[in-house]
Amino acid sequence: MICTIDKIIQETPDIRTYRLKFREESLTEQFNWMPGQFVEFSLLGSGECTFCIASSATRKGAFDCSIKRAGIVTADIHRDLDEGDEVGIRGPYGNWFPLKDLKGKNLLFVGGGIGLAPLRSLIQYAIDNRSDYADFTILYGARTSADLCYKEELEEWKNNESLQMILTIDKPEDTWKEHVGVVPKILEEVVKPKVENTKVITCGPPIMIKYTLMSLDKLGFAPKDVITTLEMKMQCGLGKCGRCNIGSTYVCKDGPVFTYEELNTLPDEF
Amino acid sequence: MDYTKQIKEIAGKLFSEEKIDVFIGYRNSGFDENQVPVLIHHYQDVDQLVFTEKSVFNLTNYLKYEHTRNKRVGLVVKGCDSRALNLMLTENQVKRENLYIVGIACEGVVDEAGQKAQNCLECVMPDSVVFDEMLGTPSGKREYQVNADIRELDGKELTERLTYFEEVFENCIRCNACRHSCPLCYCDKCCIDQETSTLYHGANTTSSAFHALMTWSLHLAGRCVDCRNCEKACPSHLPLHLLHKQNEKVVYENFQEHQAGMIEGDRGAFYKYSMSDPDDFIM
Amino acid sequence: MNLTTYSTDSAGLQAFYEAIINAHETYAPVEKFGKYDFKKVDSLAGCDPDSPIPQTMSVKSLFFPKSAKVMKYTATSEGTELSDTTEDPLAGKRVVLGVKHCDARGLQVLDAVYKWDYIDTDYEKRRENTILISPRCDQAVTHCFCTSLDYDVENLDAMDVAVIHVGDGKVYLQARTEKGKNFLKENNKGLSAANGAAKEEMKKQYDKFAGSFRLSMDYKEINEKMQDKFDSPAFEEVSSNCVSCNTCAFVCPTCHCFKISDEKIRDKGVRYKSYDSCNNVYFTLMAGGHNPRPVKYRRWRQRSMHKFVYYKERFGVNLCIGCGKCTISCPVNISIFEVVNKVVNTMQE
Repeated sequence: MICTIDKIIQETPDIRTYRLKFREESLTEQFNWMPGQFVEFSLLGSGECTFCIASSATRKGAFDCSIKRAGIVTADIHRDLDEGDEVGIRGPYGNWFPLKDLKGKNLLFVGGGIGLAPLRSLIQYAIDNRSDYADFTILYGARTSADLCYKEELEEWKNNESLQMILTIDKPEDTWKEHVGVVPKILEEVVKPKVENTKVITCGPPIMIKYTLMSLDKLGFAPKDVITTLEMKMQCGLGKCGRCNIGSTYVCKDGPVFTYEELNTLPDEF
Repeated sequence: MDYTKQIKEIAGKLFSEEKIDVFIGYRNSGFDENQVPVLIHHYQDVDQLVFTEKSVFNLTNYLKYEHTRNKRVGLVVKGCDSRALNLMLTENQVKRENLYIVGIACEGVVDEAGQKAQNCLECVMPDSVVFDEMLGTPSGKREYQVNADIRELDGKELTERLTYFEEVFENCIRCNACRHSCPLCYCDKCCIDQETSTLYHGANTTSSAFHALMTWSLHLAGRCVDCRNCEKACPSHLPLHLLHKQNEKVVYENFQEHQAGMIEGDRGAFYKYSMSDPDDFIM
Repeated sequence: MNLTTYSTDSAGLQAFYEAIINAHETYAPVEKFGKYDFKKVDSLAGCDPDSPIPQTMSVKSLFFPKSAKVMKYTATSEGTELSDTTEDPLAGKRVVLGVKHCDARGLQVLDAVYKWDYIDTDYEKRRENTILISPRCDQAVTHCFCTSLDYDVENLDAMDVAVIHVGDGKVYLQARTEKGKNFLKENNKGLSAANGAAKEEMKKQYDKFAGSFRLSMDYKEINEKMQDKFDSPAFEEVSSNCVSCNTCAFVCPTCHCFKISDEKIRDKGVRYKSYDSCNNVYFTLMAGGHNPRPVKYRRWRQRSMHKFVYYKERFGVNLCIGCGKCTISCPVNISIFEVVNKVVNTMQE
């Protein structure tokens, strides 16, 4: 499927969000996805990359992919693509957040850096279906204030009275008025979430995940109530190419969304 | 040629004197007639070591891997292997003080059919050129001769050669066994990998194999020591020596009879300038 | 299923092969650079379907080639157009001669992964249109251990037509699938219906073959014990002399990992799907720099665990079929047989 880039938003120095629209309008209606799923994004000639869909299907018409400049293809994407250019899209692939299990629960989102992208699809979905959920908390951190993604939307969420929004950065900055400190620390000291009836959805860099899981454990969360989405190198998205194997699991088919309980049963290789 | 006993003794001594962390040698595979390279870490494993005319693989290849880097290593080298080692020393890939080198005055190894290997018949330096200890009686340097296959190839028309090599490259599966078996291909990132380079894509087409192997062989021009690790490693049995022997000939003829790795500290044909280097190609 | 058996002699078998080559698109093992590979042939000269020497590349290369085009595209300032690659050189009706039985079983194993969830239509079509005619091995060669892996030598269902040499120049041909049965009905030059002695004589051949193995292991035990060996220190030892090339995976009849790469010249481009291997250090390296398997022993662990544990867990069949191809082709002769045995038998602290 060919998509046209509708808009490019420079989120941080190395992250851009690409808002994509289908070239054939009929596809826009057909293309449905659930929060947490991903697509294969190709820049023809450079290659294909896996990105999660960073927006919710409740806001149709276009969808977002947030891309951090990291490897060869993403560097090409940042350099070569302008608004109006065409890219190839396959998908959506993978599983999604267990929406049924989340219904009626308190939601606690814990995100770091680009890790907010997969969470954003669920956050948007939950905002659009706000009545289905009880308390709604977002904890989001980045290294510096410049590294925070979706700045406008963060502002919007902050002003949204139906949810609690907590921002943090790792080191103090002169103009920064929110919290300072790494995500797990803020989680323990500021958020102090109640454990009962709460589901935690987390995503971020491996080191943040590691310590966040430890903090959550300390706070008394059961592994089955902690949901994360895995980053693995994927290529086909179809359960064939074998790249995303962790044990007998195919992350691209059985994932990328796993509960911490499920992750514990997998070999330690991610 | 059987130095099994001596090598066991040497390795055992090195371990008991705590002079090395790992000894690289050969052991019998136990499944067939072949020998397998082995990395020995403990005194009690020394008994596995063997050395005969079946000890084919160039062990200096293991010096480029993480698990031997910055460790004190003892290893066995034949004539050609020692030339590769010389180059690795010159190119600052290993530290001489970390090595204990058991040199062999090599009488030639055998191929799968039990015949003396072709490169051994053409060998110019069977004795180890760098060593701490030498086994066997050195027989000295031999005269360089142009490889028979190269002479035959040179006699062919250009189009004929192209057809021949196209067939060679068509049979390449891009497994990179040649590159990984070459002790002088020690780069962490290689320019012929899809993942690290934008020059080559990774598809296993004939043209990509052509480019990859040609680039590879040119990087080894004036450096290849003709140990033929690459050719023996190739699952498709491609005649990779043709690429290297041709380069060797060109370098020998044009760069004051340069032969790779013969002298410690010799930086190689392309790294030094001499007034008599050919310059007729400069406009 | 009622198995149809024909009998013939050496000359009749040659006539049978020749008739096939004349009538069908045929692939057979052909010698090149001193090894045997499956190539398209137009006469029996130069190929030996009943050669006991195992082919270097497995027959999977005819179904999952080392490099295949998956799509074409043109991208100009006017827009981007995608197109299917219309010409698939492997999709036509064809016959493959001389497939070793382990190789054919490898295809059965591959079917499992290609037919779960998303069905790879290219692969399926190639499988459907191919008749496999393969000789029952007489003798196990050095690195064979197929009989150790949950395999009954009398079960020849992986091939469409089995060719069984029972000695004294006498040969039986047996259709093992519906496809093979129909094929033999139409192509029976040089063949005649087998008599009652066939069953017994074939059984004898199977027994002789089964008795010729040097290597054997207890598969059940290996499979069971391997499950707890994820943290075994033996992986580090067995992988220490690996040179991290991809040979073992590329020659393996059941390895199926691939990578996708684009080749673009100006406006036009092709996307390829080519072999890749978990022994490649870049296999799991992510753009951000995180690599779950940065060191050799982890990659070897993945390889052996995938072969002997994971795939069985997921698809119910073992991913290693004991053909020994990887050992034969390995630059440093690492034997997967030795590896798994060492891993299983090394005590864990």
